[in-house]
Amino acid sequence: MRRPSTAAAVAAIALRDLRAVARARSQLYSSVLTPLIFLVFLGNGVSHGLEPSRLPAGNFTAYLVAGTVVMTSVFSSTFSSASYYRDRDSGFLRLLLSSPHSPRAVMLGKSLAALVIGAVQAAVVLGAAAPFVDFGWQHGILAGVALALVTVMLLNLMLTGLAQALATRVQSMQGFHLVMNLALFPLLFFSGAFFPVDGLPAWMKVLAYANPLTYAVDALQLATYATGSGGFIGYGVDFAVLAGLGGAVYLMGLSRVPKLTWSGQ
Amino acid sequence: MESAVVANDIRRRYGERLALDGFSLEVPAGCVFGVLGPNGSGKSTFLALVAGAERPPEGSLELLGEAPSPALRARIGTVFQENASDPLMSPTEYLRFAGRLFGVPGREAGARAAQLLERFGLAGRASDRISALSGGMRRRLEVARALLHRPELLLLDEPTTGVDPEERRLLWETVRAERGGATVLLATNDLHEADAVCDVVAFVRAGRVVATGSPAELKRNLRRQTVRVELAPGREDAAARVAEAAGGEGVTQANGELMVTTDDAAALAPRLFAAAGDAIRGLRIEEASLEDAYFQYVRRRAGGST
Repeated sequence: MRRPSTAAAVAAIALRDLRAVARARSQLYSSVLTPLIFLVFLGNGVSHGLEPSRLPAGNFTAYLVAGTVVMTSVFSSTFSSASYYRDRDSGFLRLLLSSPHSPRAVMLGKSLAALVIGAVQAAVVLGAAAPFVDFGWQHGILAGVALALVTVMLLNLMLTGLAQALATRVQSMQGFHLVMNLALFPLLFFSGAFFPVDGLPAWMKVLAYANPLTYAVDALQLATYATGSGGFIGYGVDFAVLAGLGGAVYLMGLSRVPKLTWSGQ
Repeated sequence: MESAVVANDIRRRYGERLALDGFSLEVPAGCVFGVLGPNGSGKSTFLALVAGAERPPEGSLELLGEAPSPALRARIGTVFQENASDPLMSPTEYLRFAGRLFGVPGREAGARAAQLLERFGLAGRASDRISALSGGMRRRLEVARALLHRPELLLLDEPTTGVDPEERRLLWETVRAERGGATVLLATNDLHEADAVCDVVAFVRAGRVVATGSPAELKRNLRRQTVRVELAPGREDAAARVAEAAGGEGVTQANGELMVTTDDAAALAPRLFAAAGDAIRGLRIEEASLEDAYFQYVRRRAGGST
């Protein structure tokens, strides 16, 4: 009797989720177009309407790219976790859970797909914005892109873990979206995504430094927008916080796994 | 291995409700075994234990000669009551995906998928999206998926729900041809189907098995006949008179008919006509069927009490 390979099963689940996203065209386009529209209109509107002279380069659109990439990750992890609900409602999750692999392997496959989708979407947003804004690329373009992608992967690990932890606890997809939005939107505002943290009142600074998204925005700005490290938290702290929290939240997400249920049970 | 499934005195509770209450069952290897019982009788809970290859909280379960473990699920194929396919996949993709989950190498899975799609009459739709298939086609696809990795134990939960008679025949013919020596554990509410395809059946009631045997044995044990009484429309009020005339005989109601099981139908029929002849539209005497045996053991009396 062959022993089914868990690695092959994880890869198959991840590939299938990737294929499902590629086929859901409207979701794919909206997840990339929404941040770009946001970047174009809010970025240009504030840059020209308010003349944000306190920003190092004076260009709000360039400043906003890091925050937009973080926002894309937030949307992406939320959309990816919706696949859990789709699979549960279509019955497909039952097939996965009746296979010889542990529910954690199933969730791992789904998270891998979410991580890849998040990284690709972030790369698309970054790639689409880069030619039109004035980035510092202090480490060079290749190293900057690589550092940005590492940041996005760590951030997505945390967001995917959070989404999985919620999805296995919240029964309805509507409830899941409500909780995710309630939890993540305030965090976006206090992350430096839309305005620099260092100029905020003291109480807002406390909230910002307690917010994990702040460290993702900081690392992304260091990798793309910044011309030096002055005024930034720094990669060391950023990556330590993102990796530590990302790992912890992801493990929390795996601590409760779905169980095979039967109609009539 | 003489038994594919051995369940011994299993108890399982969901909150206050005791879903399995001393459930014991032995399924001989290689047979088609039917599990029949009303909704809430515990058959779904039992099937979930087997499909998940779970250790029961109380009692013991042995599957394919081994204690339950996740690895055993590779030797089990399951058709759930609801479809488990991804509507965005094509039938070929779905079967190949299932092959990867259950450890069938890629090339072999592709060949087996093509063979099963052909056998189940789905070859012409192999590349369409599953969402475009009819309900009957999707059920056939589910059975093909469960057979793909050549399981030793095949669990079928209401596999022919929504399937028309012709498709049903094709489905069972193909299951018989493709299962090899696999044991089939079938949960169904279709007693005629169970009578036709099962070697052995178990009646389940209130979380335990109340009778087991071949359909022929169960019917023979009844040594009874059934008098089916069809009342004229609007004359359901006469049901009480029929029941009274039947005296101590068992009276059940199903599909708009009253069914009286009796040792002597020839003597009972005139009594029924004398008591409610004005309301009786038709009366048939039948030898005992599996349905009679089911009602006898599961005791679903008129009025719905069990």
